[in-house]
Amino acid sequence: MSSTEQGTSSAAPAEPTTAPESAAAPEVPESFYYVHGKDKVVHKVSAGALQHSALIHGMISNLGYTEEQAKANPFPFENIDGDILQMVVDWCNQHKGKPTPPEDTNLPKQKEKLFDLVLAVNYLEIKELLTYCCKQVAMMVKGKSPEEIREIWMIPTDAEDEAAEKEAKKRAGKEAAGETAAAAGDAK
Amino acid sequence: MPIALLKFPTDLLRDVFKFCDPFELYKLSKCSKRTQRSIKLSGRKNWRIRYFDPGTVIIYVDHWLYRFEKAEKKEDYFKGSMLKPMSMRYPDEVVDLFFNLLDTFGICRVGMLSIDFRNFESFSNIANILIERNMEIEEFHIGSEPDVKDAAHIMPLVNRMNITQYFECDPRFLCRFHYQLETFPKKVFINWSYWFNIGQLLNNSCVRMELFKSNLSNQDLDVFLRKWKNPETFPNLGWLKIYGKKIDNQSPILDMIPPIQIVGNPRAEVTFGYRKDIVDGVPVSKDDGTVGWLKVELGGRWPELKFLVVNPDDTVITSR
Repeated sequence: MSSTEQGTSSAAPAEPTTAPESAAAPEVPESFYYVHGKDKVVHKVSAGALQHSALIHGMISNLGYTEEQAKANPFPFENIDGDILQMVVDWCNQHKGKPTPPEDTNLPKQKEKLFDLVLAVNYLEIKELLTYCCKQVAMMVKGKSPEEIREIWMIPTDAEDEAAEKEAKKRAGKEAAGETAAAAGDAK
Repeated sequence: MPIALLKFPTDLLRDVFKFCDPFELYKLSKCSKRTQRSIKLSGRKNWRIRYFDPGTVIIYVDHWLYRFEKAEKKEDYFKGSMLKPMSMRYPDEVVDLFFNLLDTFGICRVGMLSIDFRNFESFSNIANILIERNMEIEEFHIGSEPDVKDAAHIMPLVNRMNITQYFECDPRFLCRFHYQLETFPKKVFINWSYWFNIGQLLNNSCVRMELFKSNLSNQDLDVFLRKWKNPETFPNLGWLKIYGKKIDNQSPILDMIPPIQIVGNPRAEVTFGYRKDIVDGVPVSKDDGTVGWLKVELGGRWPELKFLVVNPDDTVITSR
């Protein structure tokens, strides 16, 4: 589990604590990188753990940062909530250098965070975790009736969809009219 | 804790739907038009569908088979079994279910339609849409049922359906109507075939045809076999079997008075899904050199004619 410090910015990150290492120490010194989410809390994560994320792995392979440079330039993921990023970092640390077993007991269980977790994992391109999360989402409706599925997955009715579509068209029309009026005003 | 599934991008929806079985996707398709569209967008397998009167629909792909059965009571809606064969009871009209499955799973091939006239209106609705879409129907089976008052309406539908592999017709239709089979899949089996006349026999393009309780006479069969001897006629024919009371010893077939056989002649054998053979048959040559083996027997309850056309690729001739 990695630990973090609050309130550091991406430009000048505070000294984060290191994630625990596995029992067998690597022969070659491991390189570390730094990431933060919307809450600016910086997480120090080993390159090995970050290999799970195709997105970050692609970024660090191109950079060739030194330890100092990496510390000074944490990867900002402003679109990911801090607690979600924490879950993802924990998972990457737990699965550093090993494949995920088919039934992984170390995976995040918080159902209320599942939606944001899926989006984050999808964005970070962590294939194995994404597969697990999608399976969790699918399992939510196992054996349920259409009405129950509608509630669990917050599916609007056809009437609600139509009303929303009408509303969106109306809003777009108003916006277009507003822009035209503004343009006419500018011309005067 | 609910989650707003439809806010996921399409690729994520696809990943979620991969873990849903067809029963769940069908239930999801019933939630709204938008969910049905999302399932369609999420990629397609090569599903096929089977329909069995009066209300069973099966979809299948590879070794997976999902059975939808009509629910009798409201408390049974969407209940089922995940033991093989996996099944679920549905609340809709069977026609609605059938088209929902076609659309939701992008099914473009019907493995089998099987009707027994218990729900002819549903069947004709399904048939008409399949005709409209020109969908391939591999097998069509008309099952045995005593009340066949709708039979007069069936042949016009059959003739417009794109049946490619097999047509089986079991029931005894009423004599007062005329029935005409105009399009032929590879294999045809008609149990009460009294209505299948020489005109239809001469018109056929089958690989395998079996006509039981036939009204075809020696003269009819003589006409047919003489036509077969001409080059380029009936190029597909491999097997013909006819049981009929009008096959007798009163007139010749290809200049031979039945029974037609030569004891001690070889066994000619071919496999069309299952084995067909003629023992002690008489060789008959087509003008292009193709050989057929003919045997006509008069003993037994129904006199029978068997005719096997030798195809070097699949026919085995064994000396006895």
